[in-house]
Amino acid sequence: MTLNVGLPLLVLAMPFVSFLLLAIVGPLRRTGRGAGLVSIAAIAISFAAAVFVWTQGFVAEQTWTWIPADGGPIATVGVLVDPLSNKMLVLVTLVSLLVQIYSLAYLSDERPAPLGRYYTYQSLFVFSMLGLVLAPGFLQMFVFWELVGLCSYLLIGFWYERPAAARAAVKAFWITKLGDVGFIVGIVLLWSATGTFEFTELFEKAEQSALAVPGLALIMFLIYLGAVGKSAQFPLHVWLPDAMEGPTPVSALIHAATMVTAGVYMVTRTEPLFALVPGVLTLIAWVGAFTALLAATMACVEGDIKRVLAYSTISQLGYMMAAAGSGAALAGFQHLFTHGLFKALLFLAAGAVIHAVGTNDIFRMGGLFRAMPQTGIVFIVGTLALAGVPPLAGFFSKEAVLGGVWEAHLAGPFLMLAFTALLTAFYMFRVVFVTFFGRAHAGGHPHEAPWLMRGPLWLLAALTLAYGIWLALHGGEPSGEAPAWLPPLSIGLALAGFALAWAMYQRGAIDPVRVAAALAPLDYLARRRYGLDALYAGLYRGILLGFSRLIGWIDRYFVDGILNALTALTLRAGDGLRHIQSGRAQDYVYGVAFGVLLLFVWAQVWR
Amino acid sequence: MTVETVGFWVVAAVLLASSLAVVLTPNLFHAVLYLAAALVATGAIFLLLAQPFLFAVQLLLYAGGVVTIVVFAIMLTERLVGQRIRQTSRHVVNGAIVAAAVFAGIAGFLLRSPLATPPPGPAADATIAIGRALVGPFAVTLELLGVLLVTALLGALHFARGEE
Amino acid sequence: MIGLSSYLVLAALVFSIGLFGVLTRRNAVGILLGIELMLNAVNINLVAFARYNGDLIGVIFTLFTISITVAEVAVGLAIVIAIFRVRRTVEADRLDLLRG
Repeated sequence: MTLNVGLPLLVLAMPFVSFLLLAIVGPLRRTGRGAGLVSIAAIAISFAAAVFVWTQGFVAEQTWTWIPADGGPIATVGVLVDPLSNKMLVLVTLVSLLVQIYSLAYLSDERPAPLGRYYTYQSLFVFSMLGLVLAPGFLQMFVFWELVGLCSYLLIGFWYERPAAARAAVKAFWITKLGDVGFIVGIVLLWSATGTFEFTELFEKAEQSALAVPGLALIMFLIYLGAVGKSAQFPLHVWLPDAMEGPTPVSALIHAATMVTAGVYMVTRTEPLFALVPGVLTLIAWVGAFTALLAATMACVEGDIKRVLAYSTISQLGYMMAAAGSGAALAGFQHLFTHGLFKALLFLAAGAVIHAVGTNDIFRMGGLFRAMPQTGIVFIVGTLALAGVPPLAGFFSKEAVLGGVWEAHLAGPFLMLAFTALLTAFYMFRVVFVTFFGRAHAGGHPHEAPWLMRGPLWLLAALTLAYGIWLALHGGEPSGEAPAWLPPLSIGLALAGFALAWAMYQRGAIDPVRVAAALAPLDYLARRRYGLDALYAGLYRGILLGFSRLIGWIDRYFVDGILNALTALTLRAGDGLRHIQSGRAQDYVYGVAFGVLLLFVWAQVWR
Repeated sequence: MTVETVGFWVVAAVLLASSLAVVLTPNLFHAVLYLAAALVATGAIFLLLAQPFLFAVQLLLYAGGVVTIVVFAIMLTERLVGQRIRQTSRHVVNGAIVAAAVFAGIAGFLLRSPLATPPPGPAADATIAIGRALVGPFAVTLELLGVLLVTALLGALHFARGEE
Repeated sequence: MIGLSSYLVLAALVFSIGLFGVLTRRNAVGILLGIELMLNAVNINLVAFARYNGDLIGVIFTLFTISITVAEVAVGLAIVIAIFRVRRTVEADRLDLLRG
């Protein structure tokens, strides 16, 4: 095995080894911090190997037969190593490493046994995500896709004694499963049309125009549905805000940087296939842009700091999908990368705030900058990146996305994304002003976070800044011919949002309440999440529970009914027939005589 | 009308009349006596069929032995109760119908089957032949019959002992 | 004309009458009398066939039947007397201990 294949396999194997170790060796897991150290060590090795693979630019593909058959294996497992996957490997391992270090401090008041369980799940999750990234074909990707979903369920519901957390975990599982159904149907249909799961073979066929399969648009749409669920596009976005019930490091890892990006990664990975169905791509772009706008409006009225960040994630995922749908998949992927960095930063910083203050509600915070200056600084860095302010990385990637959408002449999505940029700046600075500035609330002794938490924060902030500067110097990718007025436009939108937030929340010049009253219908809908959650709950209750009640009724009255009827019939028949046994011999002689008569009749008639 | 024909009809009439009386009379004791008459009539049938040995056996065992046993039994059961046992019948109509139906069935068979009625030749005295047959081919059966009689004797003894 | 069928019909009649007696008599001894009539009819049948077929099998069969019948009557009446001792009745209607 060459180094090209061996090192990525090492990246993949280390978290798996850690998971196996922690899952099997109970005493090690139950030490809590010991388990954490094992997991962190494994992923540190993975990260180092991933960085090496990325910088050396390895390219390789290696598969092994999983389900053999005549004429080639039906299914294979293996790795596909190229620049796209390498970059993703680095992102996943980096953010996972920082999150796991951070968790040591954040979950320091957990009992050892649950903490060990936490790190077991974390290791399993990293392994699943890496397997998804390195998958050479749809089948392996789907397997790890589902595994990632499972880990998400386990980690969201980590505090499973809390009913809200348990419900949120199940909801996440259900909603993403809806998308996954479409995904697997699409995969199987594609396989039955082309005979293969492997990406390289499919791309070859696409190039040779041998993929003119009837219904390809439908197939690719079904495959896209998987991304809709996993990457929280409308209308399957409702699980992400509730997933905030999990611990904040989990939110930072899974719902900012890695799992939710799996959908975007998949679409980017299979871009040659989507390019064959421009109709679906346009749909992706529109849905992405709409999702971005919708989520941004909901973030403007949200008071829970983690929920704001969740909506922000949905919104930025919309950006990435819109880029992919516009044919600028690499721009979307770049935004994925930068977003992973600064969203993880924002979540972890929010976690530090929550840890210090003990509440998620921003209106119960205030003036925290004085007590937690470092956290405030890194949070502001993240906010600037998210709002798209140069020279931070977010500016370049967001501009690339907008440029790609403009290039594809998709005016509607462009307008939606532009307006969303303004809203993004607005609601993020709203949070900043309300949380860190203004009047301090009494209660609690907010303090700076311990070093185990601050370290990752500073590192992510530094990376965001450094990567931005690098992009500024190297022109980023793709260096398309974006219109010259685009950079000033995006900066202008960001500044406008900032100014609006400053006016409303810092200076008090514009009263937020009156603005909300002026936009009353929108405000009402946004606060109730546009009724989508209620719709889903109603559908679930109606269809599923109705169906199960029907089945229960059939079972009780039909199936059991038949049995009961049979038993009753048998009993009654027995009761009736009992009287034949009169106990009197003469009656039996009657019986014998009848039998003889019957024999006579039979003998005489038959003859 | 030969002697045989007349004799047959007379004996048949006696037999049938006494049989009916056995099953219809309310008094059990009378029924036993009618049974004796019926058994003697049967013996006469055997005579008509040129089996004098059987006639003798019938009179000895049946008309003699069985009737005696039954009379004893009636007297025993009657005495213990202390009054004449009234004999009444139940479900007469049902029984009549079933019995008639059985007769009809048998008669049906008889009517269908071609029973040749050539007058048989003069009958030789069968007694010697019977005796030879009993100790010859049917010796085993004879012995088994003896075993059966011993068993019956033991059984009757057992029941007769009562609760001692 | 007296033929085989005459004897057979006679035997059938006696058999039916005996069956009637078995079915209708109340007293256990009365039932036994009916059984006697039925066995008698069988004997008539056997001897008639023996006579008209010209061999002795029927006659020997009849001898055996008579013997066995005697034994059966003896044992049967012993049982009746034993039952009478216990249950103080020989009415067939009352003897239904094996009722279902």
